Amino acid sequence: MIKAANRLGLVFFPAYDWAISPTHPEREERLLYTQDQLREEGIFDIKGITELKPDIATETDIMRSHFCFPDVSSVTTESHLISAGGALRAARAVMDGEVDRAFALVRPPGHHSMKCVHGNRGFCNINNEAIMIEYIREHYKTRRIAIVDTDCHHGDGTQDIFWHDPDVLFISLHQDGRTLYPGSGHLREMGGPNARGRTINIPLPPYTSEDGFIYTIDEMVLPILEDFKPEIIINSAGQDNHYTDPITNMNFTAHGYALLNEKLKPHIAVLEGGYSIQGALPYVNLGIVLAMAGLDYSHIKEPDYDTNYSPQDEEITDYIKQLKKPVLDNYFNPRPDMERAPEGEFTLRHKNIYYDTDGIQEDQREYIMTCKNCRGLLYIESSSSVNPPCVGIDIPVNGCARCTKEGYKLFDKAVKQGNFRTVQMTDRVNKKYERHSR
Amino acid sequence: MLLGIDVGGTHTDAVLIDEQKGIISKFKVKTYKNNLLDTVITALKEVTSGFDVKQITNVNLSTTLSTNAIVENRLEKTALFISSGPGINPSNFCIGKNTYIINGSIDHRGNEVAALDTDYISKALSECKNEGIKVFAAATKFSTRNNTHENEIAEAIGDRADYVTMGHELSSQLSFPRRAATAYYNSAVWRIYNSFIDAIIGGLKNIGITAPVNILKADGGTMPLAVSRKIPVESILSGPAASIMGIIALSSIKDDSVILDIGGTTTDIAIFAAGSPLIDKEGTSLDGIPTLVRSLQNRSIGIGGDSVIKIIDGEITVGPEREGPCMADGGNEPALVDALNYRGIIKYMDTARSSEGISALAKKSKLSPDDLAEKAVNFSIRKIRDEINRILDEINRKPVYTIHEMVHGHKIIPKKMYLIGGPARALSMVMSDGIEILVPENYDVANAIGAALARTTFETELFSDTGKGKMIIPNIGIEEQVSRKYSLEEAEADARRYTREFLEKSGYRIKDTDITIIESSSFRMINDYHASGNDLRVKCQVKPGVVMHLHK
Ligand SMILES: [Zn+2]
Ligand SMILES: [Zn+2]
Repeated sequence: MIKAANRLGLVFFPAYDWAISPTHPEREERLLYTQDQLREEGIFDIKGITELKPDIATETDIMRSHFCFPDVSSVTTESHLISAGGALRAARAVMDGEVDRAFALVRPPGHHSMKCVHGNRGFCNINNEAIMIEYIREHYKTRRIAIVDTDCHHGDGTQDIFWHDPDVLFISLHQDGRTLYPGSGHLREMGGPNARGRTINIPLPPYTSEDGFIYTIDEMVLPILEDFKPEIIINSAGQDNHYTDPITNMNFTAHGYALLNEKLKPHIAVLEGGYSIQGALPYVNLGIVLAMAGLDYSHIKEPDYDTNYSPQDEEITDYIKQLKKPVLDNYFNPRPDMERAPEGEFTLRHKNIYYDTDGIQEDQREYIMTCKNCRGLLYIESSSSVNPPCVGIDIPVNGCARCTKEGYKLFDKAVKQGNFRTVQMTDRVNKKYERHSR
Repeated sequence: MLLGIDVGGTHTDAVLIDEQKGIISKFKVKTYKNNLLDTVITALKEVTSGFDVKQITNVNLSTTLSTNAIVENRLEKTALFISSGPGINPSNFCIGKNTYIINGSIDHRGNEVAALDTDYISKALSECKNEGIKVFAAATKFSTRNNTHENEIAEAIGDRADYVTMGHELSSQLSFPRRAATAYYNSAVWRIYNSFIDAIIGGLKNIGITAPVNILKADGGTMPLAVSRKIPVESILSGPAASIMGIIALSSIKDDSVILDIGGTTTDIAIFAAGSPLIDKEGTSLDGIPTLVRSLQNRSIGIGGDSVIKIIDGEITVGPEREGPCMADGGNEPALVDALNYRGIIKYMDTARSSEGISALAKKSKLSPDDLAEKAVNFSIRKIRDEINRILDEINRKPVYTIHEMVHGHKIIPKKMYLIGGPARALSMVMSDGIEILVPENYDVANAIGAALARTTFETELFSDTGKGKMIIPNIGIEEQVSRKYSLEEAEADARRYTREFLEKSGYRIKDTDITIIESSSFRMINDYHASGNDLRVKCQVKPGVVMHLHK
């Protein structure tokens, strides 16, 4: 009988009774063939691999990471609460020492969900990884966390949520935004005024293959992680970089994903996208599972690998090599934000956000306090084509007394003013989450 | 009259049941491990003595023969041919010295990706010939979706084999490692099992019993003798299932319940949900090896009547070891039964010897004999209770795959506890914790009663890819062309019909209503945003049950 080198928890939740719409890629059987493959391989009989049942995320779990407008239940369904709950279960298993690593194979995905939620963007309503990270920081002593997003699409939601957070390092590898949804994730996007260099984007050219991805991991991601020294590493394990994926243009493989995972050694992986559900997902997921368990994955190969996969052109190799310097500079010597407000004042950012799945347009004014004692109070005014103006206030983890006091002042003012549909207070210092709706 | 025999590890029990009068004869004898046949024949003769054997209409036999052969490694040299395609390194699945890994691959949709390496098969076969191997097993990955590779291997082996087991014939379940192991063990016990059966038939004839014979399986059901000759591995671990079926016959269980079968060395724990025993869907494990043999969920812990009492770091513990029988029964070390004797809960055999043992052990501790006996009994009860809670926790935390089940899933909360086995009555008197405890009559031969009254069980799974126009039911050899419009309703009807036809042909006696659909799903498959047919899966089973109940 096979014994895993690392104890691995697998939260497998395929949501066989849920789809965005009947022909949408995010539909019922997305993980069916993956489950077939994992069961046929006997994965669940491997000593050290345990299948775990997801938790169901609570409203509080979601309010810790998001401002949901008008409220949590309007923008989520049970499927989202279970998917996020799957990530929470994975986190609990690792944090409590039940297992060494955990992989949440859950759907729907979450990495396009931003701090404010008015609906579904890029198949996502709420951000599973962000909800998991805030859960960890609330219930355990862990503070420094790194997320490496290996989905083909830029993890713009996760970036937005941790944009101002210097304790969470967010690294996204993705197909260059000039060629793919959501269009963001450029080198110049490198974190808010108080967290410069804590958001690292690595936009890769279309048709990047195994070599390109592994080079990026070895030469850019690992040196940064080594310096940042996170207490835990999270992998947003999207699988749409695969050469058979129908909605992207990359050229990655199951073996490559396994090797990437082996190098990255994430404590927790959470499935994101990946829509080649027959040709890629069964093999990529198997590869990730074996790599996380510390088992031999060298026998994994897609059925059409020999005919349909080819290594990348030299041009692409050269292009990726040239990314190394600016990427490392962004982390090691980030340019300061010229627009950063002086101490005790707010820096303003205007944002227009489009929700492709639901066709919603959102307008945002985001204020972040420059504070020498904490990472700064966050205040957002947001309105959208489905909601009148709303407000979200976030007093950060380890927020200082001034920011806490200021946060409540703004909350009272917004409530009293009476023209906001919803005012949400997220007080991470006192673990208080409240919503005032009109 | 119905005859049931359960050949257990320590005892063999037999009962004769009259459809009107209930149990009319029972017999218990020690199992002679080295001569199971003699044991069975003795039990048969004794239990039927004084009755007209011509009135016996059915014989059900539960035997540890295959289990013992595997656990004690008394196996025939068997060649295992496996072909795995991409995935886990197949060398992990070698069993014995003659496993041959053949290149070739079938994917999860049942498409052939690479043909079998027939040259290598020929080479392997000549090696087998030189080594005098006569039994073979073939298991290929995803053979339950496409069995051509297993068939090709079996054809290549041809008549140089006395028997070839093909994995897809054992179960429709996915799990290549389990398929390989189960096929291997099936072939490895095939000969010893068949000669045992031949001898049993001879024995029955001598006694004058001509009724049909069925063999008990781990899922609490039976299979006709002729069927069991091809799938002897299905007879493993039928003993615990026999006891569980016995309880069903002896009590009317309708709620969530716990069943405890307390034996000499172990206590078997089973859980019932709304009156039905839980089935281990993936298959049972034998000696740590996962198989595809369907089984009733059942867990054994090392606490029984003969479990020895010890003092470890000043603490009183019981089991898991057994140092011979309890002192009341002539042993040398005090055991749980001796503690029960001392406390006056039971009066079993030589109670003076029990007192002697308990007092002697108490001297070594700072406890009074009475305290020591009480602590030993409490320790045992606590151990059993902890294990019950652990099992319930595992069952209630079992993953589910739909939102509906996540939100509306049923949680098992036992309301009753049924105790059987030797020390059952004694423990029932001290095991009170808010739960209703019942000890059915005739609990001492519940296993043989379960064997006698168990009905047939069976399971099939239909799989169809309507895009390809294909429908298969692997373990009963059905493969059909279907139209693109083939619906889930049609699939369910086909699953029922083909299962019934197969069972009738194989000598099972069933009613149409015995076949129930337990899982049924239809997924629309989409390729590049276009519908490409449906993925249909229908699982049906003949549920475990008893032909009659014995309680009033
Ligand atoms: Zn994606
Ligand atoms: Zn502050």
